[in-house]
Amino acid sequence: MPIQEQMRKGTTTVILLNLLAEVDRPMYGYEIIQELEARSQGAFRFREGLIYPRLHEMEQDGLLRSEWQGEEGERRRKFYTITAEGRRRLAEELQDWRSFARTVNRLLGAESKP
Amino acid sequence: MSDIEGTLARIRSQLKLDSETEQELLAEIRSHLEEAVAQARAEGLDEAEALAQVSARFGVEEVVGRSLQAAHAGWGTADAVMAAALPVLCALILRWLAFAPDGTAVGWAQLLSRPAFWLVALAGLLLPVVKFGRWRYALAGWAVFWALTVILVVSPALRW
Repeated sequence: MPIQEQMRKGTTTVILLNLLAEVDRPMYGYEIIQELEARSQGAFRFREGLIYPRLHEMEQDGLLRSEWQGEEGERRRKFYTITAEGRRRLAEELQDWRSFARTVNRLLGAESKP
Repeated sequence: MSDIEGTLARIRSQLKLDSETEQELLAEIRSHLEEAVAQARAEGLDEAEALAQVSARFGVEEVVGRSLQAAHAGWGTADAVMAAALPVLCALILRWLAFAPDGTAVGWAQLLSRPAFWLVALAGLLLPVVKFGRWRYALAGWAVFWALTVILVVSPALRW
């Protein structure tokens, strides 16, 4: 499995939390996928169907809450919003990620030197 | 749109959840697929090409179905304990409301006139709705609450 694929799998939760925190508005699954692909300039291409189990697990963990929107006769969509617990988790995961990235960069000699 | 129905059927084949949950999951997936096909059509693909593209990006339906099943199957231990304990706890509080320390019952009429009784009954109904988001679970818990209540009130052997 390519390293980018492995890293994507391990970071999906924090990426989803970060997106929803940044946009600071409810988003639905398809919209989330489109936005992530656009932001990564196509580098992050999800198996789209697999985003839903992840979103549902995050909702069950209290990181997201969801709400159906749309009137009868038009397409109804399930919108996800980050919760306060989700923001707390995001802050922790970002801190862990930065620490991990610094360590890996140091080990690989990729860290910029003064 | 027949391929969308096929995709949904293959996902459904992996699900063993209550029908309410399954319908909600499939409605969300249907909305995704229909929007993806509409966008592909808007970009100039014909119906067959759009369906093929959407299917390829969506992933293997059986894998998605199994992942959804895993995400929704069963409660956590804390949820299961709460679901089991709540009606029992409510009935025990009710018993405290309904009987004097010497075991004298207040009677149904007096019991039903007490605001505290209805507070407990409403809490027993609404807490599971808030916690689990499913009226079905709440009503099942409420049925257990009422059954325990009746048993406690009508059975002298249980008036400790």
